[in-house]
Amino acid sequence: MQALLSFDQSPPLDAPFRFFLTAPLFAILAGFFLLWSGPELFASRWTPAALALTHLIAAGFMLQAMLGALVQIMPVVAGANMGRPMRVARIVHAAITLGALLLVAAFLSFLPLLFKLSVVFLGAGLAIFVGCAAQALSGLASTSPTIQGLKYALVGLSVTVVLGVLLAGSLGWSLDFPLMQLSNIHLSWGFVAWGTVLLAAVGHVVVPMFQLTPAYPDWFSRRFSFSTLAVAALWTLAELCTWEVPSDLLGTALVAHAALFAGVTLHIQRRSKRARFDATQYYWRGAMISALAASAVWLLARTVTNVGEWPAWPLLCGILVLFGGFMSVIIGMLYKIVPFLLWLHLQNQGRGRMPAPNMKKIISERDMDHQMLAHLGSCTLLLLAVFWPAVFVYPAGIALMVANGWLMRNLLSALSVHRNHLLKIEQMIGNPAQ
Amino acid sequence: MESVRDVMAADHRQCDDYFVAVERSVAAVAWADAKAAFVQFRDAMLRHLAAEESILFPAFEAYTGMSMGPTQVMRGEHGQMRDLLSASEAALNARDADDYSGNAETMLIMMQQHNMKEENILYPMCDQHLAYQLEKLLPQLEGAIEAREEMQ
Repeated sequence: MQALLSFDQSPPLDAPFRFFLTAPLFAILAGFFLLWSGPELFASRWTPAALALTHLIAAGFMLQAMLGALVQIMPVVAGANMGRPMRVARIVHAAITLGALLLVAAFLSFLPLLFKLSVVFLGAGLAIFVGCAAQALSGLASTSPTIQGLKYALVGLSVTVVLGVLLAGSLGWSLDFPLMQLSNIHLSWGFVAWGTVLLAAVGHVVVPMFQLTPAYPDWFSRRFSFSTLAVAALWTLAELCTWEVPSDLLGTALVAHAALFAGVTLHIQRRSKRARFDATQYYWRGAMISALAASAVWLLARTVTNVGEWPAWPLLCGILVLFGGFMSVIIGMLYKIVPFLLWLHLQNQGRGRMPAPNMKKIISERDMDHQMLAHLGSCTLLLLAVFWPAVFVYPAGIALMVANGWLMRNLLSALSVHRNHLLKIEQMIGNPAQ
Repeated sequence: MESVRDVMAADHRQCDDYFVAVERSVAAVAWADAKAAFVQFRDAMLRHLAAEESILFPAFEAYTGMSMGPTQVMRGEHGQMRDLLSASEAALNARDADDYSGNAETMLIMMQQHNMKEENILYPMCDQHLAYQLEKLLPQLEGAIEAREEMQ
């Protein structure tokens, strides 16, 4: 009954938008950073610059967009209402923004103090978020793959954060943890148990909704999130106990889970009823193809000695996952969520007396398409930079700044359409209640 | 026995199919086909909304005593969908493909998130609370949403 009574309590616009508008800033910063660090970033995944870049995207761009989306969608798709969403959003947003910047600074300087501070801010911000989200979801029966997926994704996020805190903490307080091993576990939980499980939970709703596809198949929906978490946990155990063969098998199974999600999504998208593709559809498909390519690279590195010994293969994989995969799918979803939320707000404020501009007047198709091409260009240049860093790192950095600057512009111009229309409403029917 | 959820969710999918038929005709610049398909879509939508407002929601409200609760929210969203239907129709009459696609996209998301709330929350609640009168209620609902067949 609780879910029913709190049927329509989506949070104020401010709550998700502060996250959505911060996300592209981290990606623009990543572009600057590529220019500043130059080709040596691509020497290995363990260079401070590579670690900093990874976290600008993962703990900056992705985390901002993912938490912003959760604040917005949990009440709508799951009936899970956070208490005081505005206050939670403000505190969490400030903490993770500062925390991510401190973490990047820590990788670049290796100053223990910066690692300690990043642990405090990211750890506290995410602990508050997970606590509030868990409270909102507790007591809700897992009646849909989305609710179940959101719960497991929060577990995935928690493990990722705990491991991240241990890693950064050990650098801050000079503790003796096996850093490389823990890093692999941290990133696997981050990409698969948190990122992919969350994406699948949301995808179960938005892929059929935006693209009019059939629902995800039942055998997949029922088991995916639990199975992913279970395999991640078993693999972690095998990895920590250095049981080589089980660890290899379970690691492969974990990557296979992510690839399976991408494959199933592409399969149902092929049966979309929509008359033609829009930016969101292209973004989703591109992301799924990129995820499959990343899985293939991972598998090749495991099975072909030459590939496995090539120091840049993890970078290739990382770019396919972070930029080609998560960043693409996130931008694709922002292009539906942002105009719809703004339209809905204006429609409610106009109280039926002043029609709101439709979604494509809030962000035009042309602007989305052009930005998408810029993003595609930046991904291509980043991939080329893995092979020829000296030639492509600078164009890649500029392209990343252009693509995300454009994203920022599209989001800001949507907000300006919103602001102008609010003024018109105010002139026509007086100051609308907020 | 069928449930409110089965019957009404199937009608949601039917409306989706009509929506797609319009979209395909607009994409093919076949305006006459698009108009005919739109009439079918609009009428199916309006019948669905009316069936809920005049049959299902009053039954739910009478049982739970909540007239300002979820059904109120749903009625509000119905109003927004009616506005979007009118705006889409105007764009179609003006043969403005861009304006149609903007209004249609907005309506699609409005419609889908609305359907999701109904199918996941409201209809199951109706099935649970109104079980004792489903035998009477379901044929009424089916009659109201299936009027299209009689009209064809």
